[in-house]
Amino acid sequence: MELIGAGLAAFGIIGPGIGIGILTGLTTTAIGRNPDAANVIRQNFILGAVFAEGLGIFAFVLGVLIILLK
Amino acid sequence: MAEPAGQTVATRRPMTTRTKVLLAIAAVVAVDVLAAFVVPPFGAGGQFPRDAIIQNLEALAPHVLFELAPGFTITSTILTSWLVMAVVIVGVWLATRRLREVPSGAQNLFEYMYESLGGFAESLGGPAARRYVPLFLGLFLFIVFSNWSGLIPFVGKVEFLRAPTSDINVTLGLALVSFTTFHVEGIRRLGVRGYLGKFFSLRGFRRSAFDGFIDLFVGVLEFFLEFFKLLTLSLRLFANIYGGELVLGVMTGLLVVVAPIAFLGLEVFVGFMQALVFAILTMMFTLLAIEGHGGEEHASHEAAAALEGATDPHVAHPAAGAA
Repeated sequence: MELIGAGLAAFGIIGPGIGIGILTGLTTTAIGRNPDAANVIRQNFILGAVFAEGLGIFAFVLGVLIILLK
Repeated sequence: MAEPAGQTVATRRPMTTRTKVLLAIAAVVAVDVLAAFVVPPFGAGGQFPRDAIIQNLEALAPHVLFELAPGFTITSTILTSWLVMAVVIVGVWLATRRLREVPSGAQNLFEYMYESLGGFAESLGGPAARRYVPLFLGLFLFIVFSNWSGLIPFVGKVEFLRAPTSDINVTLGLALVSFTTFHVEGIRRLGVRGYLGKFFSLRGFRRSAFDGFIDLFVGVLEFFLEFFKLLTLSLRLFANIYGGELVLGVMTGLLVVVAPIAFLGLEVFVGFMQALVFAILTMMFTLLAIEGHGGEEHASHEAAAALEGATDPHVAHPAAGAA
């Protein structure tokens, strides 16, 4: 039962995956349109990616904790 | 970087950068393979991936070293955070002991770090952020060295050392520090009445009872959101560092040698970014807290203007703008 729960927790990685995908796509578009602003865009992209990725890590830690703490 | 050209030519054995990098990689791989034989990441026996992974997982709670009083314990993460503090304080003290007008060596490095990070903070928060740059840098330095301390071999594997930020108690403590900071700063700037008025605003009742209730409802929501800031600040840092150590453990159990080094590199980056994010968020929350009523839009416009002004494309590259 705990293993099913941990597996379900792994679904939480879908969200950040989509988020980082959108973020990367928009960043590439933005840099393509305005290559001069590439540095600022890249900076914001990395910050946003870190935020999105943090949520995925939540899901991962939750899944592992479900198994470890059973 | 500003190495005189003659120096490299004059060396007896000219070594290209590529050779150096390849040699370094070979040395790292050799040390890694040797370490895998000397200190195997898993004990003898047992099912191979399963038991190897379980042995490399870190427990959630830190190891208790000794108990001063019931419920008041010194844990491995506290000891490591003391060590990190000592390293940071002594390092900063050594670097700034003899300040000179024309910096060199360690002072140069520290001035570069302070200026680039402080400039980054100001580019995000505008001129109002200058006041909080020391807080920003202090949090950043402590957290980044805490994060990286977990990547040193044996830290996290021996009982008395463990990365401080991989313990929820430490990150919750750090989040409490920043939580207290931004509320105290908000009250100091706006006064108790003004600050509480941001959350429990009765001004909407002047227009109509409905508007008043909406304002009050939004204010109460925002009040509870403040506590979510505390929660997300601490959980983000904890989950990233703890998750990173779990990933390292799992990958060491699965792939044994060489491949986990790539994840080590990833963790160096994640540790740096998370420290930066924690420090930036603390600063941004503080800047939000010291804003008056309805000042948020104005502040964000100002910050955006500062960001744009820092790298104005049309001034820097007029030709590219014309093309």
